[in-house]
Amino acid sequence: MTMTTPNSVSACARAVTKEEAAYRIDYPLAYARSTRVVALDETAEKTVRSVAGGPWGQAQFYTASDSGEELITLDGQRRPMVMEIEHSDSVIMVATNSIVSTAAASVGAACRERSIMTAGLLLLDAGALDGDALSALRPYARILLVPADEEDLFELLKAIRA
Amino acid sequence: MGELFRRYWQPILHTDELPEDGCPPVRVKLLSERLIAVRTPEGEYGLMDEFCAHRGVSMFFGRVENGGIRCPYHGWKYNANGQAIEVPSELNNSEFCKNVKLRSYPLAKVGDLLWAYLGDPQKQPPLPTWEFATVPSGQTFTSKRLQESNWLQALEGGIDSSHVTWLHGGGPTGAGLEADPLFAGAKGNQYNKGDVKPFFEVVENEGGLLIGARRNAEENHYYWRITPWVIPNFTMVPPRGDHPVHGHFWVPIDDENCWAWSFDYHPTRDLTEAEVSAMKAGAGVHSKNIPGTYRPEANKDNDYLINRHKQKTGELFSGVEGIAIQDSSLQESMGPTVDRTKERLVATDAGIIKARQKLRRVVEALRDHGTEPMGNVPEHQNIRSVAIVLPADQPFVEGIGDGFKAREGVPQTTV
Ligand code: FES
Ligand SMILES: [Fe+2]
Repeated sequence: MTMTTPNSVSACARAVTKEEAAYRIDYPLAYARSTRVVALDETAEKTVRSVAGGPWGQAQFYTASDSGEELITLDGQRRPMVMEIEHSDSVIMVATNSIVSTAAASVGAACRERSIMTAGLLLLDAGALDGDALSALRPYARILLVPADEEDLFELLKAIRA
Repeated sequence: MGELFRRYWQPILHTDELPEDGCPPVRVKLLSERLIAVRTPEGEYGLMDEFCAHRGVSMFFGRVENGGIRCPYHGWKYNANGQAIEVPSELNNSEFCKNVKLRSYPLAKVGDLLWAYLGDPQKQPPLPTWEFATVPSGQTFTSKRLQESNWLQALEGGIDSSHVTWLHGGGPTGAGLEADPLFAGAKGNQYNKGDVKPFFEVVENEGGLLIGARRNAEENHYYWRITPWVIPNFTMVPPRGDHPVHGHFWVPIDDENCWAWSFDYHPTRDLTEAEVSAMKAGAGVHSKNIPGTYRPEANKDNDYLINRHKQKTGELFSGVEGIAIQDSSLQESMGPTVDRTKERLVATDAGIIKARQKLRRVVEALRDHGTEPMGNVPEHQNIRSVAIVLPADQPFVEGIGDGFKAREGVPQTTV
């Protein structure tokens, strides 16, 4: 048998019809291991707060301190940033034009060192896109939504089962 | 979603499919409606219900005659608008005719394609102005292939930028896109190779989204490849060098099938003979179809002719030949309509997540408030994909400016 011969009769049925496609093992999907949502400025914190009340599994929500060395939980506890993201598989950074760039840089660099997946949301409301805000976030977010709003954050968390 | 599609002109036939006045009619299925397309001996195009109003015979077997088409069963005759004009089996002919009409839709020729509008006649949008269809015909080439999956999972492939380096990038020993005559030699290919883990930026645009993939270029510069998505089902691939620019329309046939239209055009020059023959042979975004059909030769019945040897040696990452079939093999393998409740999306799928959300918003706005969706006016259709090198701190929208706009006689913005 040459390896180029296609399997014209497959060993198992292919999902070529709706009926066949429905034969997928039915078992619940696990939550994402632990998503961290980090607001990088005060305005972004408002959005993060209002989304934090959603039906999430293991997601945790914070605001970064100005240096980024600490993450502050929504009830005000200050925790070392590195400890908080260490066991996370994705970090979502939320910012506005008033982004604190030192915070973005230290959270972003810590994620990069640990190969943690990152996404960034730049909330603009009606404001114009500010090149400085963009360059503060851009190097650290593998994917960046410009502009984004509260619903984007909600839908993103929902889709990744945070 | 069907109502949304009824707000747009959609490409449904290549002009070759109704090649001359008075030619045989063609069956068309679109948005789950079975239709018949005719070209009368006078040159008028028509698109109507496939089945005769009398006893439901398929008008595919009809006889095209002066002024319309006649049903072969009892001889009822319809004009290009589906209006009965002769009912020879009835005595009170003209009075009876008035009350017999097949549902019909406007069918218009723009470029080398015939476009149909299935929506409310009161709200008919202007004819399409997409650049690939409006440049002189020597500058453009369009092909179509049947994709046996829901249109949305096909479209999502066009937005899912992170699959490109994997699926289409060629395996570890393969030449990837450089092997394709329609991509080879572009400077951009070097940036692609030099940085295989691009970053993405998803930017709101009037007619939909702009999906930018950036890679490192020279010191402090990024190489950007920008894919526009225009709502609901139009995407364009960023250009490479001076090669023709390409893109797609994903047109729903029914819930489980769509037409993948693939076009290639150059804004300022004729396509060369070599380019056209490569396109006809299925290179680039095109496919090699079974002669006389629009079904690719590599299809689900033969496992897309997957070559396990090339997959193993790394010559082809997936073992499947050609971009179009690489995409269709995997998108069809999900099943006719993928079960999205079983997906495990990750943060970097944010582009797909955003597109779905945007689509849902326009569908709901149309349904609940009658809000006209974007994408069916020239302002949103006169768009181009772009490949460009920009300073690292510049928003790409600003750096590109008019480069996104289709402008007559102005070449594409490309690297
Ligand atoms: S079925 Fe067509 S004329 Fe009778
Ligand atoms: Fe693809």
